[in-house]
Amino acid sequence: MNTTKRVVIEPLTRVEGHGKVTIKLDPAGAVESARLHVVEFRGFERFIQGRPYWEIPVAVQRLCGICPVSHHLAAAKAMDGIVGVDQVTPTAEKIRRLMHYGQIFQSHSLHFFHLSSPDLLFGFDSDPARRNVLGVAGAYPELARQGILMRKFGQEVIRATAGKKVHGTGAIPGGVNRSLTTAERQELASEIPQQKEWARTAVGIARDYTLDNLGFAAEFAAFPSNHLGLVRRDGTFDLYDGVLRAVNSAGKKILDDVEVDRYADVLIEEVKPWSYMKFPFLRELGPETGWYRVGPLARLAVCDRIGTPEAEAARVEFVEAMGGVPGTMSLAYHWARMIETLSALEEIERLLDDPDIEGDELVLQGERRNEAVGVIEAPRGTLFHHYVVADDDTVMRANLIVSTTSNNEPMNRAVESVARKYLSGTEITEGLLNHVEVAIRAYDPCLSCATHALGKMPLVMEVHDAEGRIVGEGRRSA
Amino acid sequence: MSESFTFYIDGVPVEAQPGMTILEAAQGAGIWIPRLCWHEDLEPFGGCRVCTVKANGRPCSACTQPAEPDSVVENDTPQLREWRRALVELLFAEGNHFCMICEKSGNCELQALAYRLGIAAPRFEHHWKPREVDASHPDVLIDRNRCILCARCVRASRDLDGKTVFGFTGRGPDRRVAVSSAARLADTDLEVTDAAMDVCPVGALVRKREGFSVPIGSRRFDDAPIGSDIEASGAAEPARQEE
Amino acid sequence: MSRPRIATASLAGCFGCHMSLLDLDERILELAELVEFDRSPIDDYKEFQERCAVGLVEGGCANEENVATIREFRKKCDVLVSVGDCATMGGIPAMRNLVPLEECLQEAYVDGPTVHNPSGLPPGDPELPRLLDRVYALHEVVDIDWHLPGCPPSPEAFWAAVSALLSGEPAELPPSLIRYD
Repeated sequence: MNTTKRVVIEPLTRVEGHGKVTIKLDPAGAVESARLHVVEFRGFERFIQGRPYWEIPVAVQRLCGICPVSHHLAAAKAMDGIVGVDQVTPTAEKIRRLMHYGQIFQSHSLHFFHLSSPDLLFGFDSDPARRNVLGVAGAYPELARQGILMRKFGQEVIRATAGKKVHGTGAIPGGVNRSLTTAERQELASEIPQQKEWARTAVGIARDYTLDNLGFAAEFAAFPSNHLGLVRRDGTFDLYDGVLRAVNSAGKKILDDVEVDRYADVLIEEVKPWSYMKFPFLRELGPETGWYRVGPLARLAVCDRIGTPEAEAARVEFVEAMGGVPGTMSLAYHWARMIETLSALEEIERLLDDPDIEGDELVLQGERRNEAVGVIEAPRGTLFHHYVVADDDTVMRANLIVSTTSNNEPMNRAVESVARKYLSGTEITEGLLNHVEVAIRAYDPCLSCATHALGKMPLVMEVHDAEGRIVGEGRRSA
Repeated sequence: MSESFTFYIDGVPVEAQPGMTILEAAQGAGIWIPRLCWHEDLEPFGGCRVCTVKANGRPCSACTQPAEPDSVVENDTPQLREWRRALVELLFAEGNHFCMICEKSGNCELQALAYRLGIAAPRFEHHWKPREVDASHPDVLIDRNRCILCARCVRASRDLDGKTVFGFTGRGPDRRVAVSSAARLADTDLEVTDAAMDVCPVGALVRKREGFSVPIGSRRFDDAPIGSDIEASGAAEPARQEE
Repeated sequence: MSRPRIATASLAGCFGCHMSLLDLDERILELAELVEFDRSPIDDYKEFQERCAVGLVEGGCANEENVATIREFRKKCDVLVSVGDCATMGGIPAMRNLVPLEECLQEAYVDGPTVHNPSGLPPGDPELPRLLDRVYALHEVVDIDWHLPGCPPSPEAFWAAVSALLSGEPAELPPSLIRYD
């Protein structure tokens, strides 16, 4: 056999969204290339044009059903700018933060317990019949139950602040439309002690997994990279708001204290022909070396400290285990993610204790502007929303750089690294293919989010209706 | 001196005054007849046909048909429910109704009616015909994607505001609400305080910048199905709301 | 007697319906006692293992791969349910049905403030499934037995639907569980 063999993993499972991996093997069975293709797109940036600006925070949530709150809040923050509000009321900010931390808590719990734990608990090449959340429930019923109830708590926090667990309406331009009742506040606060215990357990499981497998983790999809995230001006970890900071693999700052409005000056997205997801990189470093990681591993790399005590202690332990420099291990994302989960819970506890959370000053208005940027740290990484709004209040243009998009190059490198190491020159089993997916899952990709944009079209486009008949054709010249 | 009389809706005796329509009499008796284009402050239009009932065996719009002594009217029957469902499904298939991002969701009569009629999904193929949004006016927006041609705005502007801001133009699938003789809402004398601004049953004619200021849970139909207010007010038994 | 099998998929959807299904919380564990899950994004079955009693599909059809998948589901499932507004009427992705196709082609990513496109060409690799002329609701492509509307449908709506389907009852969703937002 002297032809190139093509192996496909399709669809990726236990991730959000639609992706596939293609692996090309040369006649000797060595891996020539491995790519992560993101195969879906919808077209948000085009079809929200002409819609009134106050609809956008509710509309863009439909980019993703796991992290709708991220888009809801990023869009609301941008629309604050459109209505001329640079600082919302204390109640509004706290309600939004509560919503956001609730989301971080539920999304991270979902990812760890429902999506990733089967690989970590049973092994990457264990029986696929049980390598899922129900299999975990069978073998580790208490753990599965904790994961489910942790996600439930996060969703309850979202429901109280946004009005619905998935796709609520709580954040509006200039503020919010609701605050908590005393009953809601007390109900949620009563669950904190148990949730905290579980969150600590989760950190322990992720930490122990990493430390017990440190040698393996240092070889599996491990590579140095730049890292990007938001931090407060003083360098403290903050998932809701801040300025942009990027560090290189040695921990040295390459960007610091960059206002989010200037994101387009520092970032750019490259288009490649084989994926609907683009490849962002830092402009000043160029496409070869300017790519970077985002998300939990990156956020712990760029911040100087976490502002909540237990999570901060966990972070110190983490950084020490990483050797004092930004993490290189894809698998270390899980530990970083659980530390963030604990931090989110500590923040939720503080906010529930704050009387402003029941306040009734919900919304402000200022002088209308025509352009604004809203940036937030979504569960998966830095999320940028940028809108231009006409004088008649309709959206003229939108640009979205979505978290997972920034991890496109890192995920592709992870895929290639694992494919070369495990699939070259050997019989390819289902379990070995799952190794590739494990590398992708570590990044908790949200592939729906990452492919919002319209326009990623073939040069020659044949348009088929649902019966497969060609109903149109289009050409676009170079 | 007017003499009241009795007629029957689904076997229930209903008192009416001469000149009352079937719908008005039913309303007074706490019987809900589904409707869309009817509004208590406006002359009936008979356009939507959702209030179709059978009076002495003949289908007619309850909002325009005068009540008659001893007539036998059918309202809540499987056949009429099926007709009304088809009408409402056609409205959804004709326009571009994205309830999930519409600021009127939860306060929308079309949506609430569809819920109460038990419509899970329109069976008809969607037209997907793009319709114009007019955002020219500083304080008011028309989104024709959501307009169901009920003519409430036309009637209200004419009869309550003494203006003629709105009118229909076009025929068949091209029929739409146009604004007086001008091209844009901004060129009319519509004011955000006009009565015409308070009658739109859907999210077509809206005040700008109100958006989603009413939270989920506090919207008109969040807790009570459409028609339940009428049923609660009258002597008749509320119609079954759950199937 | 073997347990009935359920398969799920998300086509041109956002996974919000799957998240709402997971909002059954501990009841998912009860459900897992009554059914077996076949192919689904939440497990590692990438293909149908056996014929299924129930197929739950969120998302409409936006590309040829979605069409192939829903046809597979129709072949392999006794009862096929379109879940959520994207599946029942096209949903938010269907907003692109209102934008002229020519404009879609022209709106390639050369205009955005953060686009770097050295070749000037949009992606066109054969690995990428081709787009349909518009987004379709599922019942426009295959016969659908049941619709579960919502964006997403509530967990209570899911529970009512799955309970009814598994017990073979002819079911109509009560108005209190029908929501489009």
